[in-house]
Parts: sequence; structure tokens; C-alpha cells
Amino acid sequence: MNIINTVYASNESVSETEVLATETYTTTGHGEETSGVVASLGINAQLFVFQLLNFAIVAAILWFLILKPLTKKLEDRKKIINDSLDKAQEVETNLTMSQQKFQEKIDEAKVEANKIIEKAYADSEKLSEEMKNKAKKEIELLVDQAKRNIQIEKEETIQGLKNETVNLIIAVVEKVLNEKITDKKDRELIEDSLKNIK
Amino acid sequence: MSGEIHIPTLAPETLFHIGNISITNTMINAWIAIIIFLILGILIKRKIALRPGKLQNWCEYFLDLILGYFDQVTGDRKKTIKFLPIVGSVFFFILLSNWIGLLPGTGSITYGHNMLLRPANTDLNLTLAMSLVAVLSSHIFAFFSIGFFTQIGKFIQIKNIIKSIPKGPIAIFTALIEFMVGIIEIASEVAKVLSLSLRLFGNIFAGEVLITVISALIAAVVPTPFMLLELLVGLIQASVFAMLTIVYLTVAGSAPHGEEHHEEVHEVLKEPVKVK
Repeated sequence: MNIINTVYASNESVSETEVLATETYTTTGHGEETSGVVASLGINAQLFVFQLLNFAIVAAILWFLILKPLTKKLEDRKKIINDSLDKAQEVETNLTMSQQKFQEKIDEAKVEANKIIEKAYADSEKLSEEMKNKAKKEIELLVDQAKRNIQIEKEETIQGLKNETVNLIIAVVEKVLNEKITDKKDRELIEDSLKNIK
Repeated sequence: MSGEIHIPTLAPETLFHIGNISITNTMINAWIAIIIFLILGILIKRKIALRPGKLQNWCEYFLDLILGYFDQVTGDRKKTIKFLPIVGSVFFFILLSNWIGLLPGTGSITYGHNMLLRPANTDLNLTLAMSLVAVLSSHIFAFFSIGFFTQIGKFIQIKNIIKSIPKGPIAIFTALIEFMVGIIEIASEVAKVLSLSLRLFGNIFAGEVLITVISALIAAVVPTPFMLLELLVGLIQASVFAMLTIVYLTVAGSAPHGEEHHEEVHEVLKEPVKVK
């Protein structure tokens, strides 16, 4: 194969550049000679195969070591992000639903609580009324009982006093009359007198 | 100022031989790119995680950026991922080898009488290999997605000729035109390979020559804008190559339209014209 190797040279000035040498040499890889346009462009079957091999190596390295792992990771990350977004959407939907349910429960609880409070209030009113009445009755009963006791005690006291007075009078009269009247007559007399006094 | 301007030849320079194998300076550049990708790949593979580190983050950022552009062509992320082994490799390899070619030392360090380093894409063998892989892979993908015979039927339309025989001369004529269109389609496939490879080669080679000449004229400061321009050219050429590859892959994978339409045309041609 002919490869034209042209070396240009300039001595002192570039404008005076001239062709120093035009070297034509032949590289006979397999002993075949090609000529014309293809040879002048440097196309060579052996070089072509080696450059094809170089490109195949580059393609293999790029694909298996760089592009494939990177695209796989990009896809994985994209998938994770999409899944996360879907999950987030799902969580958000669940949260909204839960909030709605929570609000419903809260409202129900409020209504229930109000009902309970109202009932409790009514019950307490009723109970307090009952308790008041009961207490009133008990107080009245106690007062009555106390009054009766007082009355009984009063009567007993009066009776005791009367008896004591009778005894005292008897004793006094006995002393005064000094056995003029019998005991029986004396007592009857005194009792009559006391009745009259009442 | 340097006494000589070493303008790169169209063909890559052979630096040495290993047995019968010629090792060229563009190969050295390609190997450097391979080593960089290998190191990067090992680092990424070892540290890859769902919570990315700095390196993984940057790589994912660029990957996601180009995937977005590819999606605009394919219209589907799954298709893009399916084509990524070819298109991604093409894009990143062209980009890196173009940018490596701008590093100091490329074109200036010599080995014998030749440059030790030269941008890999200034070798037509490499650009041709890549474009051939791109176009062939588009057909292989098409075989799997739309079927072998459907794909072949896009280029060799004999079935229409056979079907048209009982339908009359106009149908035969239409079928012949379709057959010729199929032949032109075959030529267009060859043109795809040539245009892809020559475009990339031409642009990068021209840039290399430009920078070599400018650097030889005035070594300091002046080449900088051109190098920045070449940085942009490197990116654009990588993008153009990758985008065209993904277009070829997408178009080749789509089922051919028009069979039903052609049937309708034949039916219309068969019916007599009614004049009111």
C-alpha cells in the first residue's frame, strides 16, 4: 500500500515554504498493493480491522463498565422514586381518609359526650332533688323525734318535780301538823290540793 | 519559530511494527481513549450506588443529558436504551478521541520522523469502521424488530413486480419504479457509510491541519481560539455522528409504509374514470 508522506518545511520565512521531500513508501502488510483514491486516503484492510477491533473494545468497555451500570442505576432510582411517590400518594390518601374518619369519630364522640353530659346533668339534678327531699324528711323526722323526746323529758321532769314537791310539802306539812292526819289522808289531801293548783 | 511544518498526511503514519501488524499514531490515540474509558469504567463500576458520589453524579448528569436528546429522535426511552450500546459508544468515543487530539503533545511529539500522537478520527479506517458498524447495526436491529424479509423487501421489491403482472401495464410500470427505488435505497445505504465516515474524518483532519499550521506559524496565544473552536467541532461532530446513527437505527426499525397505499393506487388505476 502506498502512503504519501509529505513534509513541508520553512527555512527563515514561512512564506518561502517549499516541499522538501515527498516520500512515497510502501507498507506491504500482506504483500498486496493498492492504489488510487482509496490508498491515498489511507484505507488499509489491516488497519481497518484493527480500528474496528479498537472500536469494539471501546464499545464493550463503555457499555459494560459505564453505560449499562449507569442506566441501570438511573432506572432503579427512577423506579424507587416512582414507587416512593406512589406510596406517598397512597399514604396521603390514607391520611386524608384517616383524618376524615378521625373527624367523624370526634364528632360522634362529641355528640355522645354531650348526650352523656346532659344525661349526667339531668341525673344529678334528679339525684340532688331526691337527696334534698330525703334530707328534709330525715331532718323533719329528727326534729319531731327531738321534740317528742323533749316533751317526754319535760313531762318526766315536771312529774318528778311534782313528786318531789309533794314529798316536800308532805314533809313540811307533817312537820307542821305533826301527826294530826294519817298518812293516807294526808296524801289524798295533798294530791287534791295539787290538782287544784294545776 | 520551527523550521518545518509537519502537515499530517491523509493516511495515518506507521510508527512501528509488531510482527506484520502496523501500529499507527491514530491507534496510539485510540488506545489512550480506551485506557481512559477503562479507568473511568472501573472507577464507576466499583463505586456505583443508588446514592451517587461525585464522579457517578457527573457521569449520570451527562448521560441523562444525551439520553434526553436521543429520546427526541426515538420518542421512547426504551428504544434509546436499546440503541445506547452503539450510539453511546460512538458519541463518547468520538468526543474523547477528538478532545484528546487537542491536548499538548498531539502533533508536536515525534517518534522517528512521524508524529507520535494524532487524533484517532483523522484515520479514515476508524471513521469507516464506526460508520459501517452504525449502518450495519441499524439493519440488524431492523431484522429483529420488523423481520428479515420486511427489511430486505425495502431494497429488493420483486414481490410487487410479481403481484403487478395480472393487474396490467400501469401496475407493472409502478412496480418497476418501486424496484428501481429499492436499488437507489441500496446506494443510499452505501452513501450513508461514506457520508458518515468522510464527514467526521474531513472535519477532524481539517482541524488538525489548521492547528498544526497555525501552531507552526505562531506557537503562542494565536492557536488558542482555534483550539477552542476545535473543542466545539469535536463535540458537534460527535453529536452529528451519534444523532445520525440513532436516526438510521430508528428509521430502519420502523415498518415500511406504502404497501397499503400502493394497493389503493392500483385499485384507483384499475377503475375507469367516470365523467359526469
